[in-house]
Amino acid sequence: MILLENVSYAIESRELISGASLRIGQGEFAALAGENGAGKSTLLKLIMGLIKPTRGDILIQGASTRDRKVSALARTVGYLFQNPDRQLFGATIRQELSFGLDFLGVSKSDAESRVEETLGWLKLDPDRAPLSLSRGERQRVALASLFVRRPSLLLLDEPTTGLDYRECMQMMNTVARLNREDGVTVLMITHDMEIALDFAPRMLTLSGGRIIADGSTRELMRDEAMLKRASLIPAQMVALARRLGLAPGEADDADSLAEWVASSVKGGAQRAGHT
Amino acid sequence: MEPIILLEDVSFSYEGASGRALDGVRLSITPGEFVGVIGPAGAGKTTLAHALSGVTPHVRRGDFYGAARVAGLDTVSSSVAELSKTVGCVFQDIESQFVTTMVEDEILFALENFSVPRDEIPSRVDRALNDLDIADLRLRSISTLSGGQKQKVALAAALALAPSVLVLDEATGELDPASSVQVFELLTQLQRERGATIIVIEQKIMLLCAYAERLLVMDQGRVVIDGSVRRALEQPDRLLALGVNCPRVTTLAARLREKGLYHGAPPVSLDEAEAMVREALA
Repeated sequence: MILLENVSYAIESRELISGASLRIGQGEFAALAGENGAGKSTLLKLIMGLIKPTRGDILIQGASTRDRKVSALARTVGYLFQNPDRQLFGATIRQELSFGLDFLGVSKSDAESRVEETLGWLKLDPDRAPLSLSRGERQRVALASLFVRRPSLLLLDEPTTGLDYRECMQMMNTVARLNREDGVTVLMITHDMEIALDFAPRMLTLSGGRIIADGSTRELMRDEAMLKRASLIPAQMVALARRLGLAPGEADDADSLAEWVASSVKGGAQRAGHT
Repeated sequence: MEPIILLEDVSFSYEGASGRALDGVRLSITPGEFVGVIGPAGAGKTTLAHALSGVTPHVRRGDFYGAARVAGLDTVSSSVAELSKTVGCVFQDIESQFVTTMVEDEILFALENFSVPRDEIPSRVDRALNDLDIADLRLRSISTLSGGQKQKVALAAALALAPSVLVLDEATGELDPASSVQVFELLTQLQRERGATIIVIEQKIMLLCAYAERLLVMDQGRVVIDGSVRRALEQPDRLLALGVNCPRVTTLAARLREKGLYHGAPPVSLDEAEAMVREALA
C-alpha cells in the first residue's frame, strides 16, 4: 500500500526527513510517534503527495507520488489534519459529507446511500453546522467526510488531541472499525502511548527526521533507550509489567495484570499449603 | 490563608447562547496550590480559564453573574491588561496568542511589555528557551514550527514572566510525552520556588494525578467533584460516567480490590503501583 524508498526531504539546507524506507501493507494499522519536530507531519504530507521528496521515491499502490496530482491521490488517500477546522467548510454536516463526491464521478444515488450510511454511524444531526459542534464532533465529521470517499488509506495527524476521553474513544473506535471491517489502512500520528498500545499493532518511531524503530508496538514499548531517544514514555501497564519482570505480552493491561497477580498469589498459597 | 482565587456563585452565558457555560461555580484556591481541572467537552473548563483571566466577560462577551476575584482584583471591574500582570495564561488555540513572528521576539515581547528591568531580560529569555529545550529554535520563524514546538514557545513566553497565577488550558495537547512531563516539572518548580498558584486544565489524567494536589471535575458548567486527587480516584465509576478516565494504575487497583487483593488508597504513579502489586504478592 505504502512504499518509501530512501526518502529525504529538505527545505533550503534543513533536512526534515532523512533516508526513510518503509513498507506498509493493505489493512495494517500503524502508529507513528516521535518527539516534537521529529518530522512526523512532514512524513504524512509526503505520503499524501502534498510535498514531494527531495531524494528517493514514495509509491502509493504502486504509483509514485511524484507523477500523481494530489487530487488524484485524494481518491485513495484520506488525510485528517490535526485541526479539523482546516478541512471543514460545509454549511451542514450533510453538505460536508456530500461535497466532492460529484467530482469523483460517484453517481447521485450511490452518493446519497454513502452519505446516509455514514450518517448512520456518525450519529449527529445532519442539518447541524459542523462549526457549531464540539471539537471531538468536528473531528469525527472531518473523518466521516474522508471516509465517504472510500479511501484505501487514512493518514491521521494526532486525531485525539484536544478530545475528552469519551470523544477520544468514539474517534478511535470509529477508526478501528474502518480498519477492521472495511480493510482501510491506517497510519496515525499519536503522542498517546496508551492509544498506540490499545489500537495499533505496529509502531514506527521517528527521531530527528529518521525512522529509528519499526516493529510490534508491544515490543517497542519495552525498548526504553529507543523511547527515550524519541521523547516517548511507555504505556503505564507495559512499564509496570517490565518492572515486575514479566515477559512481553504476558500481561500488558490492567485486567491481565490483575489476573496475573491473582494467579501468582494463589500459586504461592498452594505452594505454602504443600510445604 | 486568604484565597488568591475566589469565585462566588459565578454563572456565565455567552452572547446569543441559550444555556449557561458556567452555572453557579463556587471556588476558593489558596496561594501556591496546584489544581488540575478535567471534564468532558462543553463542561465549562475553558470558560473557567477565561473567567480567571478576564477574557470572560471582557473579550468573550455575555451575561456574567456572581463575583470573581483573582489576586485581589475583581475580574469584571478590572481590565484584562491589569489582570494579566498577575495571571499568566496559555490557551488551547495557541495560534491566536502569538503577537510576533519569531520565537525570540515572542518571549521578548511579553517581558518588555511587563516592564521587566532591561538588564534582567536576556537571562530570562535564555532561561525560558533552555527550560523548554527550544534554544535551537530561537531565531526561527514561528510559522515554520510544528504544532508541539509552537506550544513550547507559548509556554516559554508565559513561564518567562513567572506569574503569581498560571492558567494552562490544554496547553500540552500537542507535546510529546517527555515534553509534557518536562512542562509539569517546570510548573512544580514555579510553584515551589516562587509560590505560584497553578491551574491546569488537561485531558492527560495520568499527568494531572502525578502532579496536581487537588482535582476539580467539571460537568455542564458546574464543579461536581472538588478534592484531593486520591479522593477523586476513589470514585472511578463516577468519573467514567462523567467522561473522565482513570489512570491505568488506578484501574489496576480497582481490579485488585475486586479480587480482595488490595485495600489501600488508589496509586497515582508507577512507583506506587509497583509497591501495591508487590504488597499484594507478598
